[in-house]
Amino acid sequence: MNPIIWLIPVLPLLSFVLLLLFGRRLKEASAVVGSLLTLGSLILSVVVFMGQWGGASVKQTAEWLAIGDTVLTVGYEINPLNALMLVIVSFVSFLIQVYSKGYMHDDDRFPVFFAYLGLFTFAMLGLVISPNLLQLYIFWELVGVGSFLLIGYYFYKSEAREAAKKAFIMTRIGDVGLFIGIILLFWQVGSFELDAIFDAVTAGDISQGWITLTAILIFVGAIGKSGQFPLHTWLPDAMEGPTPVSALIHAATMVAAGVYLVAAMFPLFEASEAALTTVAVVGGFTAIFAATIGLAQADIKRVLAYSTVSQLGYMMLALGSSGYVAGIFHLTTHAFFKALLFLAAGSVIHAVHTQNIHEMGGLWKKMKWTAPLFLIGAMAISGVPLLSGFFSKDEILAATYADGRFGLFWIAVIATFLTAFYMFRLFFLVFTGESQGKVKKVQESPGVMVFPMVVLGILAVIAGYINTPVTPILDDYLAQNPYLEIHHHESYWWIPIVATVVSLFGIFMAWLVYAKKKVKRLSEASPDFHFILLNKYFIDETYDYSFVKGTRGFSYFWYYIDRFVVEGVIQLVTGAVGWISKTSSKAHNGQVQLYGSVAFAGMAVLLLIVAWLGGYLT
Amino acid sequence: MTLEKLLSYDWGIMAPEFTILIVATLLSLMDLFMPNKTSRKPLALLGIAGVIIAIVFSVLQIGTEPTSILFDTYRFDAFALAFKLLFLVATGLILLLAIDYEGEREWEFRGEFFYLLLTALLGAMMMASSADLITLFVGLELLSISSYILAGIRKNNLHSNEAAFKYVVNGGIATAITLFGMSYIYGLTGSTNLYEISEALTNPAVEQNAFLLVMAFVMLLVGLAFKIAAAPFHMWAPDVYQGSATPVTAFLSVVSKSAGFALILKMFLITFLSVQGWHNAIILELQPYIAVIAGVTMVVGNVVALRQRNIKRMFAYSSIAHAGYVLVPFVSLSLLVFKMTWFYLLAYLLMNIGAFAVIQFVTEKERSEDFTAFSGLYKRAPWVAVMMAVFILSLAGLPFTAGFIGKFGIFMSSLGTGHYVLASVMIATTVISYVYYFNILVQIFFRKGEVDRLLPSIGLLIVMIICGAGTIFFGIYPGAAYDFFQEFDMNELFIK
Repeated sequence: MNPIIWLIPVLPLLSFVLLLLFGRRLKEASAVVGSLLTLGSLILSVVVFMGQWGGASVKQTAEWLAIGDTVLTVGYEINPLNALMLVIVSFVSFLIQVYSKGYMHDDDRFPVFFAYLGLFTFAMLGLVISPNLLQLYIFWELVGVGSFLLIGYYFYKSEAREAAKKAFIMTRIGDVGLFIGIILLFWQVGSFELDAIFDAVTAGDISQGWITLTAILIFVGAIGKSGQFPLHTWLPDAMEGPTPVSALIHAATMVAAGVYLVAAMFPLFEASEAALTTVAVVGGFTAIFAATIGLAQADIKRVLAYSTVSQLGYMMLALGSSGYVAGIFHLTTHAFFKALLFLAAGSVIHAVHTQNIHEMGGLWKKMKWTAPLFLIGAMAISGVPLLSGFFSKDEILAATYADGRFGLFWIAVIATFLTAFYMFRLFFLVFTGESQGKVKKVQESPGVMVFPMVVLGILAVIAGYINTPVTPILDDYLAQNPYLEIHHHESYWWIPIVATVVSLFGIFMAWLVYAKKKVKRLSEASPDFHFILLNKYFIDETYDYSFVKGTRGFSYFWYYIDRFVVEGVIQLVTGAVGWISKTSSKAHNGQVQLYGSVAFAGMAVLLLIVAWLGGYLT
Repeated sequence: MTLEKLLSYDWGIMAPEFTILIVATLLSLMDLFMPNKTSRKPLALLGIAGVIIAIVFSVLQIGTEPTSILFDTYRFDAFALAFKLLFLVATGLILLLAIDYEGEREWEFRGEFFYLLLTALLGAMMMASSADLITLFVGLELLSISSYILAGIRKNNLHSNEAAFKYVVNGGIATAITLFGMSYIYGLTGSTNLYEISEALTNPAVEQNAFLLVMAFVMLLVGLAFKIAAAPFHMWAPDVYQGSATPVTAFLSVVSKSAGFALILKMFLITFLSVQGWHNAIILELQPYIAVIAGVTMVVGNVVALRQRNIKRMFAYSSIAHAGYVLVPFVSLSLLVFKMTWFYLLAYLLMNIGAFAVIQFVTEKERSEDFTAFSGLYKRAPWVAVMMAVFILSLAGLPFTAGFIGKFGIFMSSLGTGHYVLASVMIATTVISYVYYFNILVQIFFRKGEVDRLLPSIGLLIVMIICGAGTIFFGIYPGAAYDFFQEFDMNELFIK
């Protein structure tokens, strides 16, 4: 056993236990304990990650349980993919804990919050290093428990309680699919070990039908965890949790677990064209669907939540289009810029005490650090050239195109436009214009909150350079996996140009619409905007009739589909269960005569069936 | 029977039973001669000591060759021992609960509670060890009649009276059906000994009347389904569980139910399999009925539990649902049946008695059995709340708990033998069960309640710690229990 590896998840677990036991005495020093232990995990993860460059996969298992002839094992496995995930998870977790020291300051249950963060980080790291599906499933559930506790952290708010419950139950629906998939795979292969499964797939021991079925069932689990349509409704509600939690769990790590799962099981998916198409279509649809909803939200965190759903859709689309590297690449860059956006949003909320973007405005000058950092995040996610999101999104578009999924390709392009538009709508409404807020004296957040944002801001800019067409570092790194064939598709020179134009157009539209007062003033000062001034009326009208009304209508359309059709189906199922429950609990009315009659009736029915099936009646 | 013959039996195999019998007799005598206004609680300590001695005897017996005495009516084998150990541990924990039970006025001056618990235990132990329809029935009735009195022991409490009355009437129906089924079996095979019945099944005269035999066993199954509270023969359970004192409820839902399972396993597997091996036509014919009962039980238990507000009633339905889960391994006929059932019953024992310890603690402090009594428990007694969370998560079957391992094993065995429908029902109803289990957790952790701190008494605390530690230990390292179970060679059951 290599202590460097197993200590990675154990350190946050230690933090959880220590803070539960001594939290009350440590008070705010809990943050230091939690952060330092997570920093330990981070350092070890980096060491492990470094070892994976050119190094071989490491796997260690020990026997856990024997049922009949089946031996179940526990242990760990390190390969290029999960070494990268280890770094991302421990890194973001560390930064979030530092940030939370400032954000959660003065909270009564400060140590409990850090204890929960420790538990969650433990579960997430444990999930990543699992060498078999059963262990992965167990940690998968534990991650869900951590998320449940953190969403419901403000339990005195009924919305938070409801959201926690909803998140848990909705993701559980996906988990049932995952579980059945795992069991069926086990039944086919006779093992939970990932490499045994991949060997069986490569050797053709499993029929095509079973591969497709199990891959889709596993994908159902990923749909639940990664908030893909139609199991996405819990994610926006989960924003009731504290903002650092949203950044850690509902942006950078847990929701990415679904994408990770598909990536980790990629050899299975790759063996079935139907499964890949399912992943691509669900991902592509979610990408545009969530982006349109994002246009109409007024709560800053909800916009970011829908944006997360949409970006996760992109990742799924990439994986479904055989763009393994593209999906992982976007997962990495997204972890940085989305965590940055959430932390910046948290910083804004911390300062103005509201989440409604219509009550903000004019914060650019008041928040000297947060505002530019938010801008960097917004530019990165929109795909502004040379920032990280530009490169990873580009990869996804190229992969989709190369895979011949032209319809999904154009959907992804439109979603790029929408992404740029809603992000900059947010930016302009929050940071430019006149202050609409009640809090007049806005203060920048303390250094302990700004520092993590600066680090993430730098990464949001540079993380893209790990895999540009010129420097395909990530490509080479991930290609070390023996079970994978990395498809090197040709690069299309026009795709980056289209993407850039589309995203800049989106930003431009947002600017026209939400910062247009500024347009006026600028137009007087600068002749560069003369052209815009001339067309102002026209664009305004066009925008108002075609764009705003159109997209708003479209957006509401999907929103209502979401609220009434998707939730309706869910309501129907719960309603049916409720009805059965109600009717049959009425039958337990306390009358002994009835109890006896039911029992006799039950026995009579059983005996009649016996007689009938046995042919004794004729 | 001559005295010589009587003395020649190897009475040593009944050491645990004798211990319990002697302690129960001692307790009843002491109760008789104690002054009226003296607390009877020390009697419970004596009872616990007796149970511990019986456990020591049983553990020493591990590995002993199968023996039978009293004209093969009473049998010692690994099967009996494995189940007796479960009953003993469970009863010991329940006696600890009972010490701290604060009943009505003058409750502490009532000693019969403790020795009735022991006679009921004795009945359960007899059921595990009998090899004859007559001794099986005597054991069953000893358990049942003691339980009827236990259910009604709070004689000034209307609910308790109602519980006892309903239990007696329903129990009477069950007994009648069981006996009727047994009489058919005796009539057809001419024997009451399970092993002789098994031999008689290969007799052509009996084979010709196979349909009567199937009928007889269906009736037997129905009668025993009452004992384990499987649907549709479960309707007494909610009223009885709700009306009884909490330790009695714990006893009924754990010991009485496990004994029912031991009896079903024994009766069906010995008679059908000891001569003919694992592929007997009649048991294959009976399988679908057991599967249907298991499915219906899981659905009814979990779905109706959704609407319960009374915590004990909710746990009654939860316990019905668990009976459904435990019936599932019966349809996968292999030696795994014993392992899965035994482990699940062990897990169920730990998590359910633990949960009842917390329920007893909370309902007594709050003087309410509504599930809102749990609100804000995390603030008032954080460790108790955490323990309850462990029990609930285990009952719901989440990882890192014994409940998960138990459910997982059962699920795997049903999938492995191709019972997909049953496996799906199990998963679907498990998901439904999350709703009511999590409602309790929401009350405990997310609702505001009273603010004063609560401290559990020492007995309850011990029960909670033992059960909590066991639930987590067997959840992380189930190998310990499985290895222990390997000590018991279940094939002994089939050797006459």
